[in-house]
Amino acid sequence: MSEKKNLPEPARHGINFAFREKLDAMAEGFRHNYCYQCGACVADCPAGLYSKTFNPRLIMLKAILGFEDELIGPDTEIWNCTNCYTCSERCPQDVRPVDVIIAMKNLCVKEGKAPDLVTTVSDTVFEAGITTKVTSLAERRRQELGLGPIKQYPVEDLKKITRRD
Amino acid sequence: MKYTPFFGCMLTVKYPWFEAAVRKTLGKVGLDLVDVDGFTCCPDPIYFQARDKMEWYTVAARNLSLAEDVGHDVITTCSGCTATLSEVNLALKEDEALKKEINERLKPIGRQFKGTINVRHAVTVLRDDYGLDHVAKTVTRPLEGLKVAVHYGCHLLKPSRVMRVDDPDRPTILDDLVRIAGAEPIRHDLTLLCCGRACMNDAIPNQMVTEILEAIKAKQADCMGLICPTCFDEFDLGQIVLGRKLKKTFDIPVVYYFQLLGVAQGFSPEEVGLNMHKVKVDHLFTPAPVR
Repeated sequence: MSEKKNLPEPARHGINFAFREKLDAMAEGFRHNYCYQCGACVADCPAGLYSKTFNPRLIMLKAILGFEDELIGPDTEIWNCTNCYTCSERCPQDVRPVDVIIAMKNLCVKEGKAPDLVTTVSDTVFEAGITTKVTSLAERRRQELGLGPIKQYPVEDLKKITRRD
Repeated sequence: MKYTPFFGCMLTVKYPWFEAAVRKTLGKVGLDLVDVDGFTCCPDPIYFQARDKMEWYTVAARNLSLAEDVGHDVITTCSGCTATLSEVNLALKEDEALKKEINERLKPIGRQFKGTINVRHAVTVLRDDYGLDHVAKTVTRPLEGLKVAVHYGCHLLKPSRVMRVDDPDRPTILDDLVRIAGAEPIRHDLTLLCCGRACMNDAIPNQMVTEILEAIKAKQADCMGLICPTCFDEFDLGQIVLGRKLKKTFDIPVVYYFQLLGVAQGFSPEEVGLNMHKVKVDHLFTPAPVR
Protein backbone atom coordinates (compact mmCIF):
# COMPACT_ATOMS: atom_id res chain seq x y z
CA MET A 1 0.00 0.00 0.00
CA SER A 2 2.73 2.44 0.99
CA GLU A 3 4.40 2.61 -2.44
CA LYS A 4 0.96 3.20 -3.97
CA LYS A 5 0.84 6.55 -2.16
CA ASN A 6 3.37 8.02 -4.58
CA LEU A 7 1.41 7.07 -7.64
CA PRO A 8 -0.87 9.57 -9.37
CA GLU A 9 -4.51 9.44 -8.20
CA PRO A 10 -6.02 7.27 -11.01
CA ALA A 11 -3.38 4.60 -10.66
CA ARG A 12 -3.94 4.38 -6.93
CA HIS A 13 -7.63 3.79 -7.41
CA GLY A 14 -7.41 1.72 -10.55
CA ILE A 15 -9.26 2.96 -13.60
CA ASN A 16 -12.55 1.20 -14.19
CA PHE A 17 -13.82 1.74 -17.69
CA ALA A 18 -16.71 -0.66 -17.16
CA PHE A 19 -18.42 2.09 -15.17
CA ARG A 20 -18.54 4.26 -18.28
CA GLU A 21 -20.65 1.64 -20.02
CA LYS A 22 -23.05 1.41 -17.10
CA LEU A 23 -23.45 5.19 -16.99
CA ASP A 24 -23.83 5.45 -20.77
CA ALA A 25 -26.83 3.13 -20.54
CA MET A 26 -28.73 5.57 -18.28
CA ALA A 27 -30.73 8.45 -19.83
CA GLU A 28 -28.34 11.40 -20.44
CA GLY A 29 -25.49 9.50 -18.75
CA PHE A 30 -23.36 9.39 -21.93
CA ARG A 31 -22.81 13.13 -21.69
CA HIS A 32 -19.98 12.70 -19.17
CA ASN A 33 -17.82 11.54 -22.10
CA TYR A 34 -17.84 15.08 -23.50
CA CYS A 35 -16.09 16.52 -20.42
CA TYR A 36 -12.57 17.82 -21.03
CA GLN A 37 -12.05 18.95 -17.43
CA CYS A 38 -11.88 22.70 -18.07
CA GLY A 39 -13.51 23.47 -14.70
CA ALA A 40 -15.94 26.12 -16.01
CA CYS A 41 -18.63 24.39 -13.94
CA VAL A 42 -16.86 24.91 -10.63
CA ALA A 43 -16.71 28.62 -9.80
CA ASP A 44 -20.44 29.39 -9.66
CA CYS A 45 -21.62 26.04 -8.31
CA PRO A 46 -23.59 26.89 -5.14
CA ALA A 47 -23.07 23.45 -3.56
CA GLY A 48 -19.36 23.92 -4.25
CA LEU A 49 -19.36 27.39 -2.70
CA TYR A 50 -21.08 26.18 0.45
CA SER A 51 -19.31 22.88 1.01
CA LYS A 52 -15.67 21.95 1.10
CA THR A 53 -16.14 18.75 -0.86
CA PHE A 54 -18.65 19.25 -3.68
CA ASN A 55 -16.97 19.82 -7.04
CA PRO A 56 -18.78 19.11 -10.35
CA ARG A 57 -15.51 18.84 -12.30
CA LEU A 58 -14.20 16.17 -9.93
CA ILE A 59 -17.50 14.32 -10.09
CA MET A 60 -17.22 14.21 -13.89
CA LEU A 61 -13.56 13.08 -13.61
CA LYS A 62 -14.48 10.31 -11.21
CA ALA A 63 -17.19 9.21 -13.66
CA ILE A 64 -14.73 9.13 -16.56
CA LEU A 65 -12.18 7.15 -14.56
CA GLY A 66 -14.85 4.91 -13.06
CA PHE A 67 -14.33 5.65 -9.36
CA GLU A 68 -17.63 3.96 -8.78
CA ASP A 69 -17.46 3.66 -4.99
CA GLU A 70 -17.09 7.42 -4.64
CA LEU A 71 -20.17 8.08 -6.77
CA ILE A 72 -22.67 5.27 -6.42
CA GLY A 73 -24.03 5.05 -2.88
CA PRO A 74 -26.62 6.62 -0.57
CA ASP A 75 -24.30 9.26 0.88
CA THR A 76 -21.90 10.17 -1.90
CA GLU A 77 -21.31 13.76 -3.02
CA ILE A 78 -23.73 13.49 -5.95
CA TRP A 79 -26.64 13.82 -3.50
CA ASN A 80 -25.51 17.33 -2.56
CA CYS A 81 -26.12 18.71 -6.05
CA THR A 82 -28.66 21.55 -5.75
CA ASN A 83 -30.05 20.83 -9.25
CA CYS A 84 -29.67 24.54 -10.04
CA TYR A 85 -28.25 23.96 -13.55
CA THR A 86 -25.65 26.74 -13.28
CA CYS A 87 -22.97 24.24 -14.38
CA SER A 88 -25.03 23.44 -17.47
CA GLU A 89 -25.05 27.17 -18.28
CA ARG A 90 -21.25 27.39 -18.00
CA CYS A 91 -20.23 24.14 -19.70
CA PRO A 92 -18.71 24.71 -23.17
CA GLN A 93 -19.05 21.01 -24.01
CA ASP A 94 -22.78 20.56 -23.33
CA VAL A 95 -21.99 17.93 -20.70
CA ARG A 96 -24.96 19.13 -18.62
CA PRO A 97 -23.38 17.95 -15.36
CA VAL A 98 -26.71 18.02 -13.47
CA ASP A 99 -28.13 15.56 -15.98
CA VAL A 100 -25.10 13.29 -15.65
CA ILE A 101 -25.49 13.44 -11.85
CA ILE A 102 -29.19 12.54 -12.26
CA ALA A 103 -28.13 9.57 -14.44
CA MET A 104 -25.82 8.48 -11.60
CA LYS A 105 -28.70 8.84 -9.13
CA ASN A 106 -30.81 6.60 -11.41
CA LEU A 107 -27.95 4.10 -11.32
CA CYS A 108 -27.91 4.24 -7.51
CA VAL A 109 -31.64 3.43 -7.48
CA LYS A 110 -31.18 0.62 -10.01
CA GLU A 111 -28.49 -0.95 -7.84
CA GLY A 112 -30.41 -0.43 -4.59
CA LYS A 113 -27.91 2.12 -3.31
CA ALA A 114 -30.01 5.30 -3.19
CA PRO A 115 -30.97 7.17 -0.01
CA ASP A 116 -34.44 6.30 1.33
CA LEU A 117 -35.81 9.78 0.61
CA VAL A 118 -35.81 9.08 -3.14
CA THR A 119 -38.18 6.14 -2.82
CA THR A 120 -40.24 7.79 -0.07
CA VAL A 121 -41.12 10.78 -2.25
CA SER A 122 -41.78 8.83 -5.44
CA ASP A 123 -43.80 6.17 -3.59
CA THR A 124 -46.08 8.96 -2.38
CA VAL A 125 -46.67 9.93 -6.01
CA PHE A 126 -47.55 6.33 -6.91
CA GLU A 127 -49.87 5.98 -3.92
CA ALA A 128 -51.52 9.39 -3.87
CA GLY A 129 -50.83 10.88 -7.31
CA ILE A 130 -49.02 13.83 -5.73
CA THR A 131 -46.13 14.44 -3.34
CA THR A 132 -48.10 16.34 -0.72
CA LYS A 133 -50.62 14.63 1.52
CA VAL A 134 -54.19 15.86 1.06
CA THR A 135 -55.57 16.76 4.49
CA SER A 136 -58.98 17.93 5.68
CA LEU A 137 -57.28 21.19 6.65
CA ALA A 138 -56.18 21.71 3.04
CA GLU A 139 -59.74 21.06 1.88
CA ARG A 140 -61.10 23.56 4.39
CA ARG A 141 -58.59 26.23 3.42
CA ARG A 142 -59.49 25.80 -0.24
CA GLN A 143 -63.15 26.21 0.59
CA GLU A 144 -62.46 29.37 2.59
CA LEU A 145 -60.54 30.80 -0.37
CA GLY A 146 -63.35 29.98 -2.79
CA LEU A 147 -61.34 27.29 -4.59
CA GLY A 148 -62.83 24.02 -5.84
CA PRO A 149 -62.35 20.74 -3.97
CA ILE A 150 -59.30 18.58 -4.67
CA LYS A 151 -60.25 16.04 -7.31
CA GLN A 152 -59.36 12.36 -7.09
CA TYR A 153 -55.91 11.74 -8.55
CA PRO A 154 -55.83 9.01 -11.25
CA VAL A 155 -53.42 6.71 -9.43
CA GLU A 156 -54.49 3.70 -11.51
CA ASP A 157 -53.17 5.40 -14.65
CA LEU A 158 -49.76 5.85 -13.04
CA LYS A 159 -49.61 2.17 -12.15
CA LYS A 160 -50.25 1.21 -15.76
CA ILE A 161 -47.43 3.34 -17.20
CA THR A 162 -44.72 2.68 -14.61
CA ARG A 163 -43.13 -0.43 -13.23
CA ARG A 164 -43.72 -0.94 -9.53
CA ASP A 165 -41.43 -3.51 -7.98
CA MET B 1 -56.48 34.32 -24.20
CA LYS B 2 -57.04 30.77 -22.98
CA TYR B 3 -54.49 28.75 -21.01
CA THR B 4 -54.41 25.52 -19.07
CA PRO B 5 -53.15 26.11 -15.54
CA PHE B 6 -51.00 23.45 -13.89
CA PHE B 7 -50.92 24.17 -10.17
CA GLY B 8 -49.12 21.01 -9.04
CA CYS B 9 -48.97 19.57 -5.52
CA MET B 10 -47.62 22.52 -3.56
CA LEU B 11 -50.13 25.14 -4.69
CA THR B 12 -53.13 22.81 -4.64
CA VAL B 13 -52.57 21.28 -1.23
CA LYS B 14 -49.90 23.07 0.77
CA TYR B 15 -50.33 26.68 -0.31
CA PRO B 16 -53.87 26.97 -1.75
CA TRP B 17 -53.76 30.72 -1.06
CA PHE B 18 -51.08 30.95 -3.75
CA GLU B 19 -53.48 29.29 -6.17
CA ALA B 20 -56.15 31.78 -5.11
CA ALA B 21 -53.72 34.66 -5.70
CA VAL B 22 -52.78 33.34 -9.15
CA ARG B 23 -56.41 32.84 -10.22
CA LYS B 24 -57.46 36.28 -8.97
CA THR B 25 -54.54 38.25 -10.42
CA LEU B 26 -54.42 36.50 -13.79
CA GLY B 27 -58.17 36.93 -14.07
CA LYS B 28 -57.78 40.69 -13.64
CA VAL B 29 -55.13 40.74 -16.35
CA GLY B 30 -57.56 38.96 -18.66
CA LEU B 31 -56.31 35.38 -18.85
CA ASP B 32 -58.98 32.74 -19.28
CA LEU B 33 -57.86 29.70 -17.26
CA VAL B 34 -59.36 26.49 -18.61
CA ASP B 35 -58.89 23.76 -16.00
CA VAL B 36 -58.11 20.25 -17.17
CA ASP B 37 -59.07 17.19 -15.10
CA GLY B 38 -56.76 14.29 -14.41
CA PHE B 39 -53.34 15.87 -13.82
CA THR B 40 -51.05 14.14 -11.33
CA CYS B 41 -47.80 15.38 -9.76
CA CYS B 42 -45.73 16.93 -12.57
CA PRO B 43 -43.70 14.70 -11.35
CA ASP B 44 -41.19 16.19 -8.94
CA PRO B 45 -37.93 17.10 -10.72
CA ILE B 46 -35.66 16.18 -7.82
CA TYR B 47 -36.59 12.84 -6.26
CA PHE B 48 -38.88 11.39 -8.88
CA GLN B 49 -36.37 12.24 -11.58
CA ALA B 50 -33.57 10.82 -9.42
CA ARG B 51 -35.49 7.56 -9.14
CA ASP B 52 -36.01 6.84 -12.83
CA LYS B 53 -35.67 9.46 -15.55
CA MET B 54 -37.59 7.43 -18.14
CA GLU B 55 -40.58 7.18 -15.81
CA TRP B 56 -40.23 10.86 -15.02
CA TYR B 57 -40.57 11.56 -18.75
CA THR B 58 -43.54 9.19 -18.95
CA VAL B 59 -45.59 10.64 -16.10
CA ALA B 60 -44.92 14.20 -17.31
CA ALA B 61 -45.82 13.22 -20.88
CA ARG B 62 -49.13 11.87 -19.60
CA ASN B 63 -49.90 15.25 -18.00
CA LEU B 64 -48.85 17.09 -21.15
CA SER B 65 -51.00 14.86 -23.36
CA LEU B 66 -54.07 15.75 -21.28
CA ALA B 67 -53.36 19.42 -21.90
CA GLU B 68 -52.71 18.75 -25.61
CA ASP B 69 -56.24 17.36 -25.93
CA VAL B 70 -57.59 20.77 -24.93
CA GLY B 71 -55.00 22.59 -27.02
CA HIS B 72 -54.03 25.61 -24.93
CA ASP B 73 -50.52 26.34 -23.66
CA VAL B 74 -49.85 25.17 -20.11
CA ILE B 75 -49.01 27.82 -17.56
CA THR B 76 -47.08 26.82 -14.49
CA THR B 77 -46.89 28.64 -11.19
CA CYS B 78 -44.35 26.47 -9.36
CA SER B 79 -40.72 26.36 -10.41
CA GLY B 80 -40.61 22.58 -9.90
CA CYS B 81 -43.54 22.00 -12.26
CA THR B 82 -41.95 24.48 -14.66
CA ALA B 83 -38.68 22.53 -14.60
CA THR B 84 -40.30 19.15 -15.20
CA LEU B 85 -42.96 20.05 -17.74
CA SER B 86 -40.76 22.42 -19.77
CA GLU B 87 -37.86 20.01 -19.95
CA VAL B 88 -39.93 16.94 -20.79
CA ASN B 89 -41.96 18.86 -23.37
CA LEU B 90 -38.79 20.04 -25.11
CA ALA B 91 -36.91 16.74 -24.80
CA LEU B 92 -39.75 14.80 -26.42
CA LYS B 93 -40.21 17.41 -29.14
CA GLU B 94 -36.49 17.34 -29.98
CA ASP B 95 -35.87 13.61 -29.78
CA GLU B 96 -38.06 11.48 -32.03
CA ALA B 97 -36.69 8.19 -30.68
CA LEU B 98 -37.32 9.23 -27.09
CA LYS B 99 -40.84 10.36 -27.97
CA LYS B 100 -41.51 6.98 -29.58
CA GLU B 101 -40.31 5.10 -26.52
CA ILE B 102 -42.35 7.23 -24.11
CA ASN B 103 -45.45 6.91 -26.28
CA GLU B 104 -44.98 3.14 -26.18
CA ARG B 105 -45.10 3.39 -22.37
CA LEU B 106 -48.27 5.52 -22.56
CA LYS B 107 -50.11 2.98 -24.72
CA PRO B 108 -51.71 1.02 -21.83
CA ILE B 109 -53.76 4.11 -20.93
CA GLY B 110 -54.45 5.08 -24.55
CA ARG B 111 -52.52 8.35 -24.44
CA GLN B 112 -49.94 9.86 -26.80
CA PHE B 113 -47.58 12.81 -26.49
CA LYS B 114 -47.85 14.82 -29.69
CA GLY B 115 -45.75 17.91 -28.99
CA THR B 116 -48.37 20.48 -29.96
CA ILE B 117 -48.32 22.91 -27.05
CA ASN B 118 -45.85 24.96 -24.99
CA VAL B 119 -45.22 25.12 -21.25
CA ARG B 120 -44.70 28.56 -19.80
CA HIS B 121 -44.33 30.03 -16.34
CA ALA B 122 -47.15 32.48 -15.56
CA VAL B 123 -44.75 35.45 -15.20
CA THR B 124 -43.53 34.83 -18.76
CA VAL B 125 -47.10 34.92 -20.05
CA LEU B 126 -47.70 38.24 -18.27
CA ARG B 127 -44.61 39.77 -19.85
CA ASP B 128 -44.84 38.29 -23.34
CA ASP B 129 -48.54 37.80 -24.10
CA TYR B 130 -50.03 40.76 -22.26
CA GLY B 131 -47.11 43.13 -21.77
CA LEU B 132 -45.91 44.82 -18.61
CA ASP B 133 -47.77 48.03 -19.51
CA HIS B 134 -51.07 46.15 -19.69
CA VAL B 135 -50.43 44.39 -16.37
CA ALA B 136 -49.53 47.76 -14.82
CA LYS B 137 -52.98 49.06 -15.81
CA THR B 138 -54.60 46.44 -13.54
CA VAL B 139 -52.81 47.94 -10.52
CA THR B 140 -55.17 50.14 -8.55
CA ARG B 141 -53.30 50.35 -5.26
CA PRO B 142 -49.58 50.66 -6.06
CA LEU B 143 -47.38 49.37 -3.24
CA GLU B 144 -45.54 52.63 -2.91
CA GLY B 145 -42.46 52.56 -0.75
CA LEU B 146 -42.42 48.76 -0.33
CA LYS B 147 -38.91 47.40 -0.80
CA VAL B 148 -38.98 43.86 -2.17
CA ALA B 149 -35.79 41.77 -2.24
CA VAL B 150 -36.32 39.71 -5.39
CA HIS B 151 -35.33 36.05 -5.40
CA TYR B 152 -35.38 34.33 -8.79
CA GLY B 153 -34.70 30.75 -7.71
CA CYS B 154 -33.28 28.32 -10.24
CA HIS B 155 -35.93 26.79 -12.44
CA LEU B 156 -37.59 29.87 -13.84
CA LEU B 157 -34.32 30.63 -15.66
CA LYS B 158 -32.19 27.51 -15.86
CA PRO B 159 -31.33 25.56 -17.89
CA SER B 160 -31.78 28.52 -20.27
CA ARG B 161 -31.60 26.12 -23.24
CA VAL B 162 -34.96 24.80 -22.01
CA MET B 163 -36.54 27.76 -20.20
CA ARG B 164 -35.83 30.58 -22.66
CA VAL B 165 -37.30 33.12 -20.23
CA ASP B 166 -34.53 35.56 -19.47
CA ASP B 167 -30.74 35.86 -19.25
CA PRO B 168 -29.95 33.57 -16.29
CA ASP B 169 -27.04 35.78 -15.25
CA ARG B 170 -28.78 39.12 -15.71
CA PRO B 171 -32.50 38.50 -15.37
CA THR B 172 -34.93 41.42 -15.10
CA ILE B 173 -38.37 39.81 -15.33
CA LEU B 174 -39.10 39.69 -11.58
CA ASP B 175 -37.64 43.14 -10.92
CA ASP B 176 -39.88 44.51 -13.69
CA LEU B 177 -42.96 42.77 -12.32
CA VAL B 178 -42.29 44.06 -8.80
CA ARG B 179 -41.90 47.55 -10.22
CA ILE B 180 -45.26 47.49 -12.02
CA ALA B 181 -46.93 46.57 -8.72
CA GLY B 182 -45.63 49.94 -7.54
CA ALA B 183 -42.96 48.47 -5.25
CA GLU B 184 -39.21 48.84 -5.40
CA PRO B 185 -37.13 45.77 -6.33
CA ILE B 186 -34.04 45.40 -4.17
CA ARG B 187 -30.91 43.52 -5.23
CA HIS B 188 -28.20 42.15 -2.97
CA ASP B 189 -25.01 40.17 -3.58
CA LEU B 190 -26.81 36.83 -3.38
CA THR B 191 -29.95 37.68 -5.36
CA LEU B 192 -29.31 34.87 -7.84
CA LEU B 193 -28.24 32.22 -5.32
CA CYS B 194 -30.26 29.02 -5.12
CA CYS B 195 -32.19 28.02 -1.95
CA GLY B 196 -30.30 24.74 -1.70
CA ARG B 197 -33.38 22.67 -0.95
CA ALA B 198 -32.29 19.69 -3.06
CA CYS B 199 -29.04 19.09 -1.13
CA MET B 200 -28.94 16.02 1.09
CA ASN B 201 -26.55 17.65 3.57
CA ASP B 202 -28.57 20.29 5.47
CA ALA B 203 -25.49 22.32 6.32
CA ILE B 204 -25.33 23.58 2.71
CA PRO B 205 -28.87 25.05 2.42
CA ASN B 206 -28.74 26.27 6.04
CA GLN B 207 -25.71 28.37 5.25
CA MET B 208 -27.19 29.60 1.96
CA VAL B 209 -30.49 30.63 3.54
CA THR B 210 -28.70 32.34 6.45
CA GLU B 211 -26.47 34.38 4.14
CA ILE B 212 -29.32 35.34 1.80
CA LEU B 213 -31.50 36.49 4.72
CA GLU B 214 -28.62 38.47 6.20
CA ALA B 215 -27.91 40.09 2.82
CA ILE B 216 -31.59 41.10 2.58
CA LYS B 217 -31.50 42.52 6.10
CA ALA B 218 -28.38 44.54 5.29
CA LYS B 219 -30.23 46.16 2.36
CA GLN B 220 -33.18 46.98 4.65
CA ALA B 221 -35.74 45.41 2.34
CA ASP B 222 -39.26 45.06 3.77
CA CYS B 223 -39.77 41.56 2.44
CA MET B 224 -38.55 38.93 0.07
CA GLY B 225 -40.45 38.42 -3.22
CA LEU B 226 -40.27 35.09 -5.05
CA ILE B 227 -42.15 32.84 -7.48
CA CYS B 228 -41.33 29.32 -6.30
CA PRO B 229 -43.25 27.50 -3.53
CA THR B 230 -40.20 25.40 -2.66
CA CYS B 231 -38.09 28.52 -2.17
CA PHE B 232 -41.01 29.88 -0.14
CA ASP B 233 -40.91 26.80 2.10
CA GLU B 234 -37.19 27.18 2.55
CA PHE B 235 -37.34 30.88 3.44
CA ASP B 236 -40.62 31.15 5.37
CA LEU B 237 -40.93 28.04 7.56
CA GLY B 238 -37.22 27.35 6.98
CA GLN B 239 -36.34 30.73 8.44
CA ILE B 240 -38.16 29.90 11.70
CA VAL B 241 -36.57 26.45 11.98
CA LEU B 242 -33.14 27.84 11.22
CA GLY B 243 -33.63 30.73 13.62
CA ARG B 244 -34.35 28.29 16.45
CA LYS B 245 -31.28 26.27 15.61
CA LEU B 246 -29.03 29.33 15.45
CA LYS B 247 -30.82 31.14 18.30
CA LYS B 248 -31.45 34.23 16.20
CA THR B 249 -34.40 36.02 14.64
CA PHE B 250 -34.25 37.01 10.99
CA ASP B 251 -37.79 38.42 10.74
CA ILE B 252 -37.80 38.74 6.95
CA PRO B 253 -41.35 38.33 5.58
CA VAL B 254 -41.57 36.24 2.41
CA VAL B 255 -44.14 36.93 -0.31
CA TYR B 256 -45.12 34.97 -3.43
CA TYR B 257 -45.19 37.38 -6.37
CA PHE B 258 -48.88 36.88 -7.21
CA GLN B 259 -49.83 37.83 -3.64
CA LEU B 260 -47.96 41.08 -4.14
CA LEU B 261 -49.69 41.74 -7.44
CA GLY B 262 -53.03 40.80 -5.86
CA VAL B 263 -52.78 43.42 -3.13
CA ALA B 264 -51.68 45.97 -5.72
CA GLN B 265 -54.78 45.09 -7.75
CA GLY B 266 -56.96 45.86 -4.73
CA PHE B 267 -57.50 42.42 -3.18
CA SER B 268 -57.29 42.27 0.59
CA PRO B 269 -54.24 40.64 2.21
CA GLU B 270 -56.53 37.82 3.46
CA GLU B 271 -57.91 37.12 -0.02
CA VAL B 272 -54.41 36.21 -1.18
CA GLY B 273 -53.48 34.46 2.06
CA LEU B 274 -50.96 36.93 3.43
CA ASN B 275 -52.31 36.12 6.90
CA MET B 276 -51.21 32.48 6.51
CA HIS B 277 -47.42 32.85 6.53
CA LYS B 278 -45.15 31.64 9.32
CA VAL B 279 -43.20 34.90 9.31
CA LYS B 280 -45.75 37.66 9.85
CA VAL B 281 -46.23 39.68 6.69
CA ASP B 282 -49.77 41.11 6.48
CA HIS B 283 -48.82 44.20 8.52
CA LEU B 284 -46.86 45.43 5.49
CA PHE B 285 -50.04 45.60 3.45
CA THR B 286 -52.52 46.90 6.00
CA PRO B 287 -52.98 50.67 5.99
CA ALA B 288 -51.61 52.25 9.17
CA PRO B 289 -54.35 53.20 11.70
CA VAL B 290 -55.25 56.85 11.76
CA ARG B 291 -53.85 58.53 14.84
